[in-house]
Amino acid sequence: MELGKVVPTSNQKSAAETMASALSSMDGVEAVVSERKNGTSPRNIVSVDCSSENWRHLAVCMKVEHGIDYCSMITGIHWPEGSPDKNWEVIYHFMRMGVTDPPVVDGMVQPIVKDPSKLEGKDIPLEVEVRIALPETREPTVASVQDIWVGADWNEKETWDLVGIDFEGHEGMRRVLQPHETPVGFHPLQKQHKLRYHDFEEMYDDVQGFLRKPSDTGKIK
Amino acid sequence: MAEMWISMGPQHPMTHGLWTLKVKVDGETVVDTEPDLGYIHRGVEKICESRDFTQITTYCDRLCYASANTWSHSYIYAVEDLLEVEVPERAEYIRLIAVELQRIASHLMWLGAYGPDIGNLSVMVWCLREREMMMDLLQELGGSRMHYNFPRVGGVKRDLPHGFAQRTRAKVSLFLNRIQEYEALFDESTIFLIRTQGVGYSKPEEMVNHGVTGPNLRAGGVNYDIRTAHPYSVYSELDWEPPVERPSIKGADCYDRYRIRVEEMRVSAMMVLEALDKIPRGADTYHEPGDPAILAKAPSRSPEGASGFHHFEDSRGESMFYLAGGGEGRGKMPYRVSIRSPMFITIPYASKCMVGYKVADIPAIMGSFDPCIGETDR
Repeated sequence: MELGKVVPTSNQKSAAETMASALSSMDGVEAVVSERKNGTSPRNIVSVDCSSENWRHLAVCMKVEHGIDYCSMITGIHWPEGSPDKNWEVIYHFMRMGVTDPPVVDGMVQPIVKDPSKLEGKDIPLEVEVRIALPETREPTVASVQDIWVGADWNEKETWDLVGIDFEGHEGMRRVLQPHETPVGFHPLQKQHKLRYHDFEEMYDDVQGFLRKPSDTGKIK
Repeated sequence: MAEMWISMGPQHPMTHGLWTLKVKVDGETVVDTEPDLGYIHRGVEKICESRDFTQITTYCDRLCYASANTWSHSYIYAVEDLLEVEVPERAEYIRLIAVELQRIASHLMWLGAYGPDIGNLSVMVWCLREREMMMDLLQELGGSRMHYNFPRVGGVKRDLPHGFAQRTRAKVSLFLNRIQEYEALFDESTIFLIRTQGVGYSKPEEMVNHGVTGPNLRAGGVNYDIRTAHPYSVYSELDWEPPVERPSIKGADCYDRYRIRVEEMRVSAMMVLEALDKIPRGADTYHEPGDPAILAKAPSRSPEGASGFHHFEDSRGESMFYLAGGGEGRGKMPYRVSIRSPMFITIPYASKCMVGYKVADIPAIMGSFDPCIGETDR
């Protein structure tokens, strides 16, 4: 009996290697296959480092030539103690799903039921991670990919709202999780905003804020 | 007629939580929509930066009150990627049972809430009755009713209790019979069919581009499931296939999204039964908490520069955690935690699906996407 129709690791690995070598030939792009061994089954992901000038070019290439159709998540990180060329980092997670609209035969939609263990070529699902390091600046900016993957739209809004990384070319940028009247320039996930300070755990030691020390006045929480 | 904006929410039965849907209407027709989220933003990502890896599990439970177990498992898989932990197979089976029971409970909560949305009140009581059985089983595993804090880095908190297998088989078999009652209640109700069929069309390619996954995508007639496309846990060792719905020519409507969740409950129930049969060393063996058979040793610190993430099939779509290691206390805490919530991405898409329909269709369309605001706002 054939069990668990899943994508075999070997197929995923070879597909990842093909894509990594193709992407590495581009300017300012370094792609490798990184093997992750957690849980019970190993995963092979395409791990890409890209410079911010080449990002837009890489994004179009991934979508058009490699069939990356799904933008899962965008993460912004503030590294104030990091090296001057990596003070900020934007990390994108993509997946290749290979989803197409099901065909219509005789007026009835025929659902697409693929056997994942027999997928080939550009149909093999892949995980892609793209990291973009940004130098020390007060206004970190990368190009927006909102028009390529609509799924990136709200991810970019959230990243700007919480981390303060701006996306050039993004239409309709606004606060999504924080109140609309949040002061301009306040982005809580930047590292100068601390929950713990002076060995003082605000959350446990002073829930209602009665004990704020005089030395804390003016400090942003 | 003049167009105008009206606000549905923050307190509105349609919202299933606390958020506002701004609707631009022309008479009774929806012309444009704009969701406004963030009413219960708790700053979980910031809080997690000053908690160590085991403490964060409890925060992840509280991301979604209807589906706590899937969220804490989603986090645990990301931590195990960061710390490079290999998990004993028995623990993976126990996790699978816990997650699939939670998926059933979550879908039942959705079905129970969707009925009153469109005028079928009795179904809520029926669904919560069966959800109670699943909650009882999960309580036996995790110890509490809603927020279980069940997975541990490297395994699970406790083994299956004595007699758990027997009780699970009985309750799940009973549940499989009772699914037919819901189907009778819904599929033969003219009111339900009129309100769900032919509204809120969505096409698979468009959904993927907008970042919509999970049951909502499978309702569109494709069998994409992260459990088979990026296999984790022991899903490869069970005999199952993700259910697929046959949509109409214009795409999946609200009725298809209801059908797919009912089918998913069936598949999950069968998976639980199969996992109980196949679990290594048998479902009736009991190991003390901390036994190497259910809990592998895991480091508590992560090196600087390491990162971990894991795509996870949540009951509402793809959930994911991204963790950057090497934070406060020399790696005891993550430097950055980022959470991918499926509903945060799906709500804007669902709002666009309503354009062109009547105001009365809004609850039917929004409800069919299964919104959960706890995870959306984080």
